[in-house]
Amino acid sequence: MSPDILTFIIFLPALVAFALMVTTKNVEAVRNIAFLSTIAILVLVLKLYLSFEPAAHMQFVTNVPWIAEYGINYYIGVDGFSLTILMMIAILIPTAYLLLWEGRTKGYWINMLLVQTGVTGTLLSLDMVLFYFFWEVMLLPVFLMIGIHGTGNKVFTTIKVTVYTMGGSLLMFLAILYLGVTYFNEFGVWSFQYDKLTEITSLNHSEQMYLFFAFVIAFGIKIPLFPLHTWIMDTYKNAPTGAVFLLSSIMAKLGVYAIVRFMIPLFPEVYVEYSTFFVFLGLFGLIYFGIAALKQDDIKRMFAYSSASHLSFIAAGIFSLNSYGINGALYLMIAHAIATGALFLIVGLINYQTGFKTMSDLGGIAKTAPVLTFVFAIMLFANVGLPGTNGFVAELLIIFGIYEFNHTLGYISAFTVVIGASYMLWMFQKAILQDRDGESLKMPDLKIKEIIGFIPWIILVFLMGIAPELFMNKFEPTVTYYLNDILKIGGLN
Amino acid sequence: MSSNLIIWIILAPLFGAILNTGFYFYHIKEREIPQRLFSLIGTISPMIAFVFTLILFLDMKETGNTYTQDLYTWLSVGNMNISMKLLADNLSIFMSMFITFVGSLIHVYAVGYMDKDKAFGKFFAYFNLFLASMLILVLADNPVILFVGWEGVGVCSYLLIKFYHGKKENVQAANKAFIVNRVGDFGYILGLITLFFAVGQGDLSFSSLEANIANASNELLILSGVLLFVGAMGKSAQIPLFTWLPDAMAGPTPISALIHAATMVTAGIYMVARFHFLYEGIEGVGIYIAYVGAASALFAAVIACKQQDIKKILAYSTMSQLGYMFIGVGLGYYSSGLFHVFTHAFFKAMLFMGAGGIIIASHHYQNIFKIAQHRVNLPIISTTFLIGVIAISGIPPFSGFFSKDAILASAFAEGEYLIWFIGMFTAFLTAFYMFRMYFILFVAPNKNVGSPYVYTSKTITIPLAILAIGAIGAGFFNLPEILGGDHFVDTWLLQLNSKVLHMSHLTEWILMVLSVAVASAGIFVAYKKYANFDVFNPEKEDGLIGNKFYIDEIYDVVFVKSLQRLSVFIDKTVDTKIIDGFIMGTCNQFILLGKKVAKLQTANVRFYAAFMLLGMSSIFVYLFITLGL
Repeated sequence: MSPDILTFIIFLPALVAFALMVTTKNVEAVRNIAFLSTIAILVLVLKLYLSFEPAAHMQFVTNVPWIAEYGINYYIGVDGFSLTILMMIAILIPTAYLLLWEGRTKGYWINMLLVQTGVTGTLLSLDMVLFYFFWEVMLLPVFLMIGIHGTGNKVFTTIKVTVYTMGGSLLMFLAILYLGVTYFNEFGVWSFQYDKLTEITSLNHSEQMYLFFAFVIAFGIKIPLFPLHTWIMDTYKNAPTGAVFLLSSIMAKLGVYAIVRFMIPLFPEVYVEYSTFFVFLGLFGLIYFGIAALKQDDIKRMFAYSSASHLSFIAAGIFSLNSYGINGALYLMIAHAIATGALFLIVGLINYQTGFKTMSDLGGIAKTAPVLTFVFAIMLFANVGLPGTNGFVAELLIIFGIYEFNHTLGYISAFTVVIGASYMLWMFQKAILQDRDGESLKMPDLKIKEIIGFIPWIILVFLMGIAPELFMNKFEPTVTYYLNDILKIGGLN
Repeated sequence: MSSNLIIWIILAPLFGAILNTGFYFYHIKEREIPQRLFSLIGTISPMIAFVFTLILFLDMKETGNTYTQDLYTWLSVGNMNISMKLLADNLSIFMSMFITFVGSLIHVYAVGYMDKDKAFGKFFAYFNLFLASMLILVLADNPVILFVGWEGVGVCSYLLIKFYHGKKENVQAANKAFIVNRVGDFGYILGLITLFFAVGQGDLSFSSLEANIANASNELLILSGVLLFVGAMGKSAQIPLFTWLPDAMAGPTPISALIHAATMVTAGIYMVARFHFLYEGIEGVGIYIAYVGAASALFAAVIACKQQDIKKILAYSTMSQLGYMFIGVGLGYYSSGLFHVFTHAFFKAMLFMGAGGIIIASHHYQNIFKIAQHRVNLPIISTTFLIGVIAISGIPPFSGFFSKDAILASAFAEGEYLIWFIGMFTAFLTAFYMFRMYFILFVAPNKNVGSPYVYTSKTITIPLAILAIGAIGAGFFNLPEILGGDHFVDTWLLQLNSKVLHMSHLTEWILMVLSVAVASAGIFVAYKKYANFDVFNPEKEDGLIGNKFYIDEIYDVVFVKSLQRLSVFIDKTVDTKIIDGFIMGTCNQFILLGKKVAKLQTANVRFYAAFMLLGMSSIFVYLFITLGL
């Protein structure tokens, strides 16, 4: 397969978006064509996934000059990490389209397409400036979606989330420039390719540390890590379903991904040195956000805390410095994206149909919408890590990883087993199961189209839970490579 | 061939569950499907599982083999290797035998009990799924696959408790069951991890954990033994994780019979027995387990004496009997503990099913006094109920006597006289509260003479009759030598290395006579108090015991309310006021600064010229100094 396939995967949605922007005003035509293009991408990514060679490292690389005088290249490629996330994005987005099908505007669909280009580009960039470019690009459509289609105090929310993330991005941008200049001073040529930047030797320890934290703050806002999280509550609450889905299922994961992709190779010593701090921070977030989620009434706001809790746990796994933790964290990214994505989309659907979004307003949905409840329950139990689903494999591995890293922290990490179940079941009871006070809601059941959209997800939830080795094979060699050859910790495999 | 059969024991009910789910959705979405189809799938699939188990059992009895079935590598990461592997050894087949047998009967019973329920198909889908999970639990070859079944039964229990989910209380009871069990799982996972790393990683299976157990330090073994037992506490409703079991009675009665009496709640005992290689080396933990069991047995029996809800009395008696089982396995008499699991499955399932029949016949009253006030004539149910009550009270030759006596004798033989005494006293209480219930339900005089006869469906009475035979005769499977028995169950479970009872025949006889005397005393007291009780003037559920020692209230304040308060504090104060307040405050400072700077924009050209002059001269000065121009 030609390496150009990656470029095609990245830019197809944007091209379709621009074409649609100028050619038609018909919302349905825009939606249908946009949907078809996501299916086309899914097919391409599937082909890529199957032809990917797990043992080899970076594959399908394209590296051509972009801004030649500063050594900025269009440098993309895929390895086990990014491949798995790429596959996840490609599977998630078409289903999201099916669930958001009715009652959207043309701009909404155009934004959805642009986001896909943004996130895929971010995922596949290997040049730091290119990465930064996509990192910013992927957010702009989301800002627009919140500002235009949001609810409540949406303008303030948009400004808040913009300033928050831009503040982080600014730090990252300065850090990238600093690295580039350092490279230039050391080697006499410009380059922003991440593998070239790893050759830098002239940074002293405190410089490395400052740069590391500049990056991690930018990534940590997106994840979000404690205490960089206060933007998510209002954003999740006020943003439209599509935007929340993108933020939580995909973009938050890119924050974690970026830590693995860039921080481990660029600052391995600082990474190891501060690993205990970040594992602790992750576990603190797991419990802190989990407890905060307990008494939420607005479902989306509860999911904001719940996502923060899970992602903190993922971050803790990433910093555990062994293959259990890192493999588990990667697995949980996928599992969480599917489960939370589905739950969000269903909650969005309920909100769209009934006009309600707080638990105290909802109830009795199980009676009128049994299929919806069935899917909801599967995803809910996947989310709380029930054995037999993908969430369990991931959580078990992360707990193993953190236990190996530090026994005491390992014991704390097992709290994940209890926390998620509490607020999730509480929400399930109030919003879906128990009869509503007052007249019952007319919530229609899932339509055939929506059921078909969820079927691949449901299959994945169970298949990834019953035969995890099948999926783990694709990225485990990459994790081993990172541990043995980059962090030089070795010992495992 | 036999080894390939193991997976089908699980797949039969699993397919049943999948088929029933599919048909149920077709039923509610497209076209009505007759109830018969659901009951057919629902009852045939556990029977197939039973037949397969029986074939394996007979084969193993004949050849003395044990079988494993290696399906595929489940997960291989780092130094850890987990196979999807099933194990049919004597222990797991012993468990599967009574699970599939009693399970099949309860499925048949449910056909009658759930008759004309709107969600009939859903019920059987859940019920089959439960059985499949339970079989995964006992047939797993490694603790992780065991955990798949372990949580699977937990989630089925959740789904079935909230079966009538319109009512808030039902869902709350289900949530409570799931979350309390999860607290136990927290312990199980940590115990497993501690053990796995203590033995030096590698293959995560029972056999390799057993083979490498010598690598582990004693402290870590103790730690993992205690943590694993925390898991058992949750699943088997022992102090302090028992509060979910009485509430779990919110589900339909067949569920209480199968899940919350006969099978799922015994998973904790099975797990401890499965890890016998671990507990053998750490006797202190075993004694701790036995004490927890004894305390739970006593505690539950005391509460049961004051309860009025027929299902709650049975629920507390289940907890109490589970306590006995933990005394057995804790002290190292694994086969005695498991034998009590076995006999208990028969008589407790029968009692629950009888209770279900009574509840239906008396228009869904559950309060024993109410039922007695509206007493109806149920000849078959009242007979089987009496058999069950005698069996659980420990009167020979009914099954409960042999299994309970073996446990009490082992406590005596081990020199744990306190446990033995608690056990004896609990036996007294058991006989008392069970006969209290029996006398009130069926004997105490009722002014409304001539209770009407109520027909009970055959699908209810036939399983009851079969179980009654089991409740009477199951004890003979493990008859002690002094009564001319051959210890069949003890011999079958030889792999567990259970301790063997060493005591003189005289002592054994004395103990037996004592325990019969104690049980008879309990029956006598109950007879005196309740045989002529005025059911129209019922007792009150009050006082410390009537309020179950306020444990639920205490837990609510300590765990639920305080966490909720913390949740609000984090959200409203820490996040909104402190962290976000700091960040938004910083932003506002920038805005204020911006406003101040904006004042310089006076639109006065001469001012701007002055600023330009100032700026440019500063630059010149700077350049002059730095570059030395």
